[in-house]
Amino acid sequence: MLKWIIAHIPSWYLFLQAAAVGLVPYGVSRIGAKLNAMAMFSQPNGKPRPPEEEAGDPLTGNFDDDLAVFEQWIENYADVGIRNFELGVDSGIKAAVIYAEGLSDRTVIDRQVLQALMNADFEASPDVPLAERVLRRLPVLKTMECGNVRQAMGQVLIGWAALIVDGVQGAFMLGVFKGVPRQMDEPESEGLIRGARVGFNENLHDNTAILRRFGENQSLFILKMKVGRRAKRNVAIAYIEDVADPAIVEEVKKRLSRIDLDSVPESGYIEQMIEDSSLSPFPQIQSTERPDRVFGALMEGRVAVLLAGTPFALIVPATLSMFLQSPEDYFERWLPGTMFRLLRFFALMVSLLAPSLYISFISFHPGLIPTKLTMSIIGSRVNVPFTALVEALILEVSIELLREAGLRLPKPIGPAMGIVGGLVIGEAAVQAGIVSPILVIVIAVTAISSFAIPHYNIGLSFRMLRFVSMFCAGVFGLFGVIMFFLALCIHLVNLRSFGVPYAGPLVSYQFEDWKDFLVRAPLAAMKRRPQMLKPKQPIRKG
Amino acid sequence: MNTGSNNQISTQQAIVILINYILAAGILTLPRTSAEQVGTPDVWLAVLIGGGIAIAAGSVMARLSARYPGQTFFQYSSVIAGRWIGGIVSLAMIVYFISISAFEVRTMAEVTCFFLLEGTPNWAIVIAFMWVGIYLVSGGIDPIARLFEIILPITIIIFAIVTLLSMRIFDFERLRPVLGLGFSPVLKGVKTTTLAFLGPEIMLIITAFMKRPPAAIKVVVGGVSIAAAFYLATVILVIGGLSLDGARASTWPTIDLIRSFELKGLLLERFDSLLLTIWIMQIFSTFTITLYAAAKGASDLFKREFKPFAYCFLPIIFLCAMLPKNINETFQLGDTIGDIALYLFGVVPLLFLVLSLLRRRKKG
Repeated sequence: MLKWIIAHIPSWYLFLQAAAVGLVPYGVSRIGAKLNAMAMFSQPNGKPRPPEEEAGDPLTGNFDDDLAVFEQWIENYADVGIRNFELGVDSGIKAAVIYAEGLSDRTVIDRQVLQALMNADFEASPDVPLAERVLRRLPVLKTMECGNVRQAMGQVLIGWAALIVDGVQGAFMLGVFKGVPRQMDEPESEGLIRGARVGFNENLHDNTAILRRFGENQSLFILKMKVGRRAKRNVAIAYIEDVADPAIVEEVKKRLSRIDLDSVPESGYIEQMIEDSSLSPFPQIQSTERPDRVFGALMEGRVAVLLAGTPFALIVPATLSMFLQSPEDYFERWLPGTMFRLLRFFALMVSLLAPSLYISFISFHPGLIPTKLTMSIIGSRVNVPFTALVEALILEVSIELLREAGLRLPKPIGPAMGIVGGLVIGEAAVQAGIVSPILVIVIAVTAISSFAIPHYNIGLSFRMLRFVSMFCAGVFGLFGVIMFFLALCIHLVNLRSFGVPYAGPLVSYQFEDWKDFLVRAPLAAMKRRPQMLKPKQPIRKG
Repeated sequence: MNTGSNNQISTQQAIVILINYILAAGILTLPRTSAEQVGTPDVWLAVLIGGGIAIAAGSVMARLSARYPGQTFFQYSSVIAGRWIGGIVSLAMIVYFISISAFEVRTMAEVTCFFLLEGTPNWAIVIAFMWVGIYLVSGGIDPIARLFEIILPITIIIFAIVTLLSMRIFDFERLRPVLGLGFSPVLKGVKTTTLAFLGPEIMLIITAFMKRPPAAIKVVVGGVSIAAAFYLATVILVIGGLSLDGARASTWPTIDLIRSFELKGLLLERFDSLLLTIWIMQIFSTFTITLYAAAKGASDLFKREFKPFAYCFLPIIFLCAMLPKNINETFQLGDTIGDIALYLFGVVPLLFLVLSLLRRRKKG
């Protein structure tokens, strides 16, 4: 017995390894937690941002004083102008319009403000207060009143016009914005064969209007908030009130209100500030330029966030399967819709795993693929001096370079670059014996597959992960690929987007949701909204 | 907002966990171990009986756990049998979970080393495997259940493909005669086959997380039956394909069965890689759930946090896994664990259940 025990005492390096087994993951988890805490300063534990003080010189009602204050303010705003005039024909009441060049619409100020006020008769009904009389004679849709100069200037600088009148306290703010019209063209990055040829543009009101045009619906709620501390911008939250889970809506509001940034130039900023995990390689919020996509998501019980000044709307909560769907799946009949959806899942797996499977089969398990194929691959690799991993990395990195360079190139040169890069270099690399022709095929198929993924940003995730999987395959072969796949799945099942499991219907077996997952069931069969979103009304009406 | 991570699992998820736990090393070795014991082609009968026994034992454990909703065995054992006896039994179970975890890891390393990664040292394989495992376990029961739900369909699909392909060399004659030597050889194999169904003991823990604890018995019946279908298919196909003597002669008969035929004209010529893929995933699930069970047990027993125990058990499992000097010692370790398990999970829960019922009587 004692002998047996002595014979089985492990050597010292085994203890070292054992220590590593325990300590490394512990250390990694600690570092991960720290990083997460750092990246999440705006998130659950973050404090709501403090309210801003709104002080400023009050508008007294004494015209000359007020005008002086305004003039003092606009010394530094070369694009703000003041126009003095008198109300009525010759009532002698002094007034002035303060407006921003380019932001306010000149013709509207000319016709609806100046013309209307100058021609109006202010002598009639003198018992009505002057402010009331001015308002009655202003044919402007949007008006509000403002008590201090600071606030008024803030509004002027986003396109309102301020009207001050002698003897009236405060200023009238007139909504005379000039739109910068852009056609609502179909977005280039998300083109469809069949579907509405319309996309969001940079105007928030245009964007909310498209959503309204999908049909009369009193329960489509659109709420407004402001984000950014120095450059404030409007952001709209859209959801269907009697469908969306109120918990999700509240969470969106809460997270938006915590955003504490100087400025928010694009909805990508919002996306990064309100996502659940900053360390995850996956996008946890869907961004899209297509109104039909947004509207479809709203109808499922999701919430959309639209930011002024960008055509990219955000959809939360996002699930992985969403990124592999295209509105066309629903517009075409269900059989082709299902087929192409399955094809996309296949493309996803290919773009993630093809190079790593090549590496593991060539370097570790040549016996597992057909003998003839092995022979031809080995034959073609005779002159290649590198291991399969290095070989694949060379080609994969050059493909990524090509893609990145192709984005920057002027349009006429793009295709030429493709030909030079893809065809000439690929052919020459094979002939020079740097890579094997089979690998060129594998990498090309991988690249094509990654273009079949309908969303650019999920494609990016899988492009990054492909390199990780290649390294795993280079070290552990097929075993490494399996471990990589398991680790990826573990990450996916741990990930949540606004409380909804990111892996979506794949896990927790909500069979009802599977009708709209790998397959796209006939429309008549999809009677329920996705259960994972916990919609208020699970049954689709009608 | 953490609306979803309530750490509760549905009945389906519990079934999936149970199946994934049961299916492990047995898929590759059961045809040999049972054929050795039985000695006639009636092995499949022994598998059926083994499954039946597992259901019976599992039902006892499920019944016991369902009586204490929201509590794991490690919490209510002291209520039933007092602090000392309850504590000792709990400790024994924790040791059991650690050792079965180590056994699975080692088997995985042996097979991977032999079939997939010749020349790669065992410890490297084991370390990579355990690191991925702890990533899952540190998340608690919720991610475990959801990952298993991804693994199970993959297992079923690939297993179906591989077994259907092996029908090419299946010969029904090799399964006959049925009961040629009577029933006694079958009984000899029952212990071996029962041990292949080790797994229902997890009900002592996961019942506490189930949304509907009374469904625990359903979980046992469903889970063990589906696992039994896997084992039955394996045993029948291996013996029908390799014959009884073939199954007895090979260390990993199921892999040898898959290796013994080649299909021309397909992307893959041999399918053992596919079988090994799902098998590694199954071992992974068994490893993670046992590690979870051990750490959860320790944390409940000592009323401390869960994660430190999970990290602490990793090196222990690693050392235990590296202890056996060769594959035969590994199998011996497996047999020893199995013998202990028979008492620990066959007899003890029954006693506890009786005790618990008696206590209820007394109070009532």
